Amino acid sequence: MIDIEPLRFAWTRAGADTLALGRLHVPPGQTVFLHGPSGCGKSTLLGLLAGVLSPQSGRVSLLGQDWAALKPGQRDAFRADHVGVIFQQFNLLPYLSVLDNVTLPCRFSPLRRSRCQSAGGAEAVAQSWLGRMGLSEGLWTRRADALSVGQQQRVAAARALIGQPELILADEPTSALDAALRQGFMDLLLQAARDAGSTLVCVSHDEQQALRFDVQWSLPALQQAEVPA
Amino acid sequence: MNSLLGIARRSAWNRRSTLAWVVVSLALATALLWTLERLRHDIRHSFSQSVSGVDLIVGARSSPVQLMLFSVFHIGSVPQSMSMDSVQQLSQHRSVSWVVPLSLGDSHRGFPVLGTTPAYFQHFAYGDKQPLVLQQGAVFAGNLDGLYEAVIGAEVAHKMGYGLGQRITLGHGMHDHDHSHDHEGAGIDEHADKPFKVVGILAPTGTPVDRTVHVSLQALQALHLDWVAGTPMPGGQIPADQARKFNLEPEEVTAALVGLKSRAAVFNVQRFVNQYEAEALMGVMPGVALGELWSVLGVGENALLAVSALVALVSVVSLMAVVLAGLNERRRELAVLRAVGAGPRHVLGLLTLEGVWVTCAGVVLGVLLAQAGMALATPWLQQSLGIRLQMAMPFPTQLAWAGAVFLAGLLASLGPAWRAYRLSLADGLSPRV
Repeated sequence: MIDIEPLRFAWTRAGADTLALGRLHVPPGQTVFLHGPSGCGKSTLLGLLAGVLSPQSGRVSLLGQDWAALKPGQRDAFRADHVGVIFQQFNLLPYLSVLDNVTLPCRFSPLRRSRCQSAGGAEAVAQSWLGRMGLSEGLWTRRADALSVGQQQRVAAARALIGQPELILADEPTSALDAALRQGFMDLLLQAARDAGSTLVCVSHDEQQALRFDVQWSLPALQQAEVPA
Repeated sequence: MNSLLGIARRSAWNRRSTLAWVVVSLALATALLWTLERLRHDIRHSFSQSVSGVDLIVGARSSPVQLMLFSVFHIGSVPQSMSMDSVQQLSQHRSVSWVVPLSLGDSHRGFPVLGTTPAYFQHFAYGDKQPLVLQQGAVFAGNLDGLYEAVIGAEVAHKMGYGLGQRITLGHGMHDHDHSHDHEGAGIDEHADKPFKVVGILAPTGTPVDRTVHVSLQALQALHLDWVAGTPMPGGQIPADQARKFNLEPEEVTAALVGLKSRAAVFNVQRFVNQYEAEALMGVMPGVALGELWSVLGVGENALLAVSALVALVSVVSLMAVVLAGLNERRRELAVLRAVGAGPRHVLGLLTLEGVWVTCAGVVLGVLLAQAGMALATPWLQQSLGIRLQMAMPFPTQLAWAGAVFLAGLLASLGPAWRAYRLSLADGLSPRV
């Protein structure tokens, strides 16, 4: 599913490497817990996995496709088809309804739209995901910014999952939530990812959740930055 | 792209108060430039139409602009007068249809006094050959009974509150307008012994005629019977009634307006005048002299244009500030769109669509605003400034200004949008705001 060949990445051309990773492989459907102190490059790694950042050397492949081999436009289309993303917060377009936010990826990805067809269309699939995320029907037609932060994160999860993308990237999806809500959100996310057969890479500080994932990556432990090339 | 339309519409609606200000700012800039350009053109037009139906203005040889300024606008002076004999000679030229002598030099409360013949009201025209029209009363008789009769322009009547039958007295020389206003009624009327009666009031023309007091040549002669070399003759006052017994035919006048039987003869007659042997005369074609005069006034016109351009620049810069202020809001939005799979072409399409719409709305609103404003202001402008606005098709220059505002507005909204887009690319997955 994910293949990383030894890579180096620095934000600035002359700057020190932010990331230097060895060979890594994630099989399809695996859930990965990615942790490490602030600023160690977790979000950067997600950016590399999503193909919005390119390493200075090495290679990142998704589904056997090397990101670097794609032109920018193709990369966008490939990402739209195969990757779902959940941010820490501000995931939603405030002026769209909850339902429209969830179906958003289907507007840009014909593949994910067609995957929804067999289940009754994007709207129906969105409704079923929202239901599974525990959002009652009354909320679906409200503006996205009328919802609480916890509810918004669950909408974001439903959106990341619609059309069954092979990879879900979540960047600290629970850090804006109260402790009481975190457990519930993670339950929903993990279960949904398994049901959809999607690979999940989740960045989190909340190490209590770590053991519920198939694999735990400590980024400092993966880092080879100090090792000379 | 169809799905993008809905997003663009709702995104814009979500930021409607910000965008409304952008539209208003653009509309004001457009309206201002549109109106200024129209004013500029119409002032020029009004100016160039201060006199029409007159083929030549003849006077003692000086500069054409000077003669024009003095005989039509009653500003300044001419160094010499021309003799009545020359006027007679001119009127007997076979190509000449009519000659109207003009005599200037006196004033009433800052308004110039023009001595002429009743034929003046028949022949003088302005604008597109529009004749002078009496709003009230009649033209002065031009005979001894009606010696002390005056016909006043619309502005004189309006500003001084004069009606028919009003008695007015004239002052000697062309007093500075503002100065005499300060001392209204202070008694600088050296010709107070011979009061005039207002017998006619002209309809507004938007030309210097509005500010002029018209009397007969003979009346001016009568006023100056007891004057020698510009001052009252000591001890020799001639009462108003007594003046009628003297010969009141003038020997010289300031200038003469000439109408031809056929315009084609204008160069012939001009040559006749310029080569006239008894005295040094000059024939000036009003259109040519007005053009020359306008090129002098063009400095003011350019200043107006510069101000317009500055105003446009300021409003575009403020527009850019408004758009930049809304950038963070857009950064998050674009990051979300990128995350759900929107490509650069989607994002740019979204931004362009909005830029075009907002700018279009601003420019169209501005033009409507300007047209409505001008429609409302037309009567007032005509009355108080004598500028006739024409509700005609827009000039190419007006359209050019509107186009310039459109382009500038587009750049001002697309520039920051492009920056937002670049940032959203550089941000990677999560917006760092």
